[in-house]
Amino acid sequence: MEESKPLNRRQWLASLLAGAGILLSYGLLGVQGALFLMPQRTGVKKRKLFAGNIDQYEVGKVRQFYDLQGKVILVKRDESGFKAFSSRCPHLGCSVHWEEENSRFFCPCHNGVFDPSGKAIAGPPGDAGQRLDEVVVTVDETSGVVYIEVDDVSVGGKV
Amino acid sequence: MRSPRKIVTSLKEMFPFDWELLRHAGAEPVPYHLKKWWFCLGGTVLYLFIVQVITGIALTFYYVPSAEYAYQTVATITHEIRFGWFIRSLHKWSANFMIVAVLLHMLRVFLTGAYRHPRQLNWLIGVALLLTTVTFGFTGYSLIFQQQSFWGATVACNLAEAIPLIGSTVAYFLRGGPVVGENTLTRFYILHIGVLPTVMFILLALHILLIRLQGVTELRFEGESVTAEQSHFRFWPDHVTTELAIGVLLMYILTIFALVFPAGLGEPADPAVTPAHIKPEWFFYFNFRLLKMTSLKVSVVATMLIMGGIFFWPFIEQWLSRKFKLSEIFTVVIGVIVFLLFLVLTVWESLA
Amino acid sequence: MTLNAKRYVVAILSVFFLAALLLVAYQESRRHRIEAGETPVITGANKGCIDCHRKDAPALVQEWEISRHAQLGVGCIDCHSAQKTDIDAWQHEGVYISALVTPIDCAKCHSREYDEFSKSHHARAGEILASLDNVLAEKVAGKPGNIADAVNGCWQCHGAIVKFARDDNGEILRTGKENKPVIDPNTWPNSGMGRLNPDGSKGSCHACHSRHAFQAKLSRSPENCGKCHMGPDHPQIEIYNESKHGIAFYANRDRMALDKDGDWVLGRDYSAAPTCATCHISSYMTPQGIAVGNSHDVGERISWTLRPVISTKLNLVIYEDGFKEDYPEGRALPAIGDKVKTIEKFVENEKLVNREVERAVAKIITWKDRRESMKGVCLNCHNDTYVDNFYKQYDDLVTLYNDKFARPAQQFMNELLADGALKADAPFEHDLQWIFYELWHHEGRRARHGASMMGPDYTHWHGMYEVSKHFYTEFLPEVVKTAELKSPALKAKYQRKIEEFLTQDEHLWLMGLSPKEAEALRSSYKQRYNQ
Repeated sequence: MEESKPLNRRQWLASLLAGAGILLSYGLLGVQGALFLMPQRTGVKKRKLFAGNIDQYEVGKVRQFYDLQGKVILVKRDESGFKAFSSRCPHLGCSVHWEEENSRFFCPCHNGVFDPSGKAIAGPPGDAGQRLDEVVVTVDETSGVVYIEVDDVSVGGKV
Repeated sequence: MRSPRKIVTSLKEMFPFDWELLRHAGAEPVPYHLKKWWFCLGGTVLYLFIVQVITGIALTFYYVPSAEYAYQTVATITHEIRFGWFIRSLHKWSANFMIVAVLLHMLRVFLTGAYRHPRQLNWLIGVALLLTTVTFGFTGYSLIFQQQSFWGATVACNLAEAIPLIGSTVAYFLRGGPVVGENTLTRFYILHIGVLPTVMFILLALHILLIRLQGVTELRFEGESVTAEQSHFRFWPDHVTTELAIGVLLMYILTIFALVFPAGLGEPADPAVTPAHIKPEWFFYFNFRLLKMTSLKVSVVATMLIMGGIFFWPFIEQWLSRKFKLSEIFTVVIGVIVFLLFLVLTVWESLA
Repeated sequence: MTLNAKRYVVAILSVFFLAALLLVAYQESRRHRIEAGETPVITGANKGCIDCHRKDAPALVQEWEISRHAQLGVGCIDCHSAQKTDIDAWQHEGVYISALVTPIDCAKCHSREYDEFSKSHHARAGEILASLDNVLAEKVAGKPGNIADAVNGCWQCHGAIVKFARDDNGEILRTGKENKPVIDPNTWPNSGMGRLNPDGSKGSCHACHSRHAFQAKLSRSPENCGKCHMGPDHPQIEIYNESKHGIAFYANRDRMALDKDGDWVLGRDYSAAPTCATCHISSYMTPQGIAVGNSHDVGERISWTLRPVISTKLNLVIYEDGFKEDYPEGRALPAIGDKVKTIEKFVENEKLVNREVERAVAKIITWKDRRESMKGVCLNCHNDTYVDNFYKQYDDLVTLYNDKFARPAQQFMNELLADGALKADAPFEHDLQWIFYELWHHEGRRARHGASMMGPDYTHWHGMYEVSKHFYTEFLPEVVKTAELKSPALKAKYQRKIEEFLTQDEHLWLMGLSPKEAEALRSSYKQRYNQ
């Protein structure tokens, strides 16, 4: 019968490797198990919508598009590229529009003013430090098509 | 700042357990032959059972045992939940391997005569464990509530009806009514996650306790020269390392199987439409083939007789050898014949 | 094995296990990427098309995006690609494509549907292009150089022969920098059911399965068939809307599972009502618990033909190459294995021609078999007494129309033709010919179709009432007038014929009711109006 002796260096190394292997592999299995149990955030699916072609935009101007819920999305082109915002004022939900001459978004309900980056700078939303909800814009380089990413609430085809 | 040694002492005082006992148990000498994988199948079963308990608990987080949601939740687990397909596949393959391991373990115990006096009681417990495992497999498969498993359950309950005297009562109780449906599902569910695990734990505890109390059967093979020094080794750390290696190997194989053959999902159960080909799980194939070859009554009674024979074999053998003075080879031949019969019927059915 | 060796074994095995788990994690993340991405799968081959056409025709691309095709990565090029040698192909942005997608293109994936459809009556709807109806549209309503009535009317349901504009040498004209072939505007756009395509295929799948969304619910809805199966000559959709079946459908549209993926089975997936597709095409449950597979041969379950002047039951001969031919009851059926000369219509040099093909008989389906497969649908809701009695009611109506009006009228027409009062090559010369045409082609069909699909008003007021009124008050007097145009002797001959004809039992009512019948009528009106 083998006697238990203090471990020598080679035995130490073997134990370390075995221990590390066991720990890592079962650890990863544990993580995967935990991910299985962790409830997932069920985010709303997004889909890309056609928002015109790059040629149709002028720098400093804004074009309007509708998302799939019929809400207005403002797409703006400036020197640095494209930005898009929801037209819904974060204060009480009125419709914000772009004032080209003042280079600002303006909400007529309570005189809310937003700078070109969507940050509120005056009026009630300015006081509350709010921003316009930003919508992701992408431009396909080869075709020059502009897309906005909106919540996918489309029906039909798939149930 | 107290020294670590003091903290350990203090902790030991809080939990007044005789740690020497554990050291003693760990030092249990293990016979030499257990170094062979062939003799560790019992431990394999235990390991797979632990996998089943853990993955099973994980699956119950999402599974809803109702006719309306059962299939849907299994589908959600399979298709939507992160790693759901993996956990479900582990559960499935571990279950199948467990049955294989139980059968091989039994075969080994039988062929080496390890069930003989004074270990007859542990053989009985072992056979009970086999039945529990198979019932686990059957109820678990039915929980998926897909076409095949639904009709499998229906056929199985009709089979149960053919048991003499108590058959119809048993079937009615199992189904929770005249047909397989909502009630059956909750019954199978409670069996699968409540009753059977409890039974399994108790039987396993008894099984292992008896092994430890009686010691493992010591075997010596012809032509082997083992020195006294080598004839036994320590449970800790030597045998534990073996089991650890087996455990990791099993996990590896299970994972690969889950990757290559992930658990699928058939059509949802439809009481109105019987599929053209119904097949039970593979471990019922021998029974299914028997059923096709004979009548319902004959096959059920034959299965019961065979199971009874296996269950009481230690005593039957004792009685037979007292009466006829049989050599040991007789038992081996019987064992091989029964096992081959099982294999042949299973393969036949799987090819049919 | 020493303890230390075992430790190494554990280490190595755990590395294997770890690697397998990493594979699992990779698999999971890949699965997630597929699901989280946009619903449509835009493959590399289609990206170019979509980027550009999203500008030109954004709604079209969006329609495609919601299709099942899009979710499975079947995109533009998979249906529109063409061989360089195809007559309608041109090189568009470097790829040979064709605007025209024919059943052969669809058959790349849907070959079973193609096989069934191409042998069906639907696929042969274009063969009407040489019929009386076409004479009406091209000659009677049209004029030389303008066949717009045929183009906008007939062909949009029946299908056109798709042609190309050609120069004097017969070469196809091409236009634009891509040399796109110029398609004859009279023949395209066309989504007619029996369109005759340049690749020789017959039919168009999108007559029912509208491009580009290809929604199943569309082809399962009755309105879809109603595009063509409507109007004075065959008001199937109006009859359906009038029937109990249609009423149940519109009230229960939400319970019809019209959107179901895959097979749509009556008695399994839905039960509220049958649509056109349910009875004529789709799968249904049978008492054996088996769903009968859906068939794209729309005539498979039809036992009567209600189309011609005189209705007959239809047996079906199927040849070894799958070609199908209806044998009206009474025409001697061939034996299985017999070689039979069949007439098939082909497009040759952009014209429809008959070709004789010898074929071997593979299978015979009697009208009774066809009726049984239709009854299988009925039996999902009704019992067999109910169904058998319905068929008795229906058969009786068709027989009544046949025997009392259609056969005698046809007989008079045949005789006038034989006597030279009518000309075979002038089908719409005389009033009589118009009256006769409407008698069977409009009124007679309305009556028969009405009975076939349980529309009482179409059976009677739009049907048999009109048939009988026009038969007695217009057709018979007009027979005499037409004969008179030829000669006084012929007039006298036909007057005699009609007098004799009207002495048959079923026409005696013209001379007045019997005293007993007249009394019953009087008292019934008295009671009704409380006098």
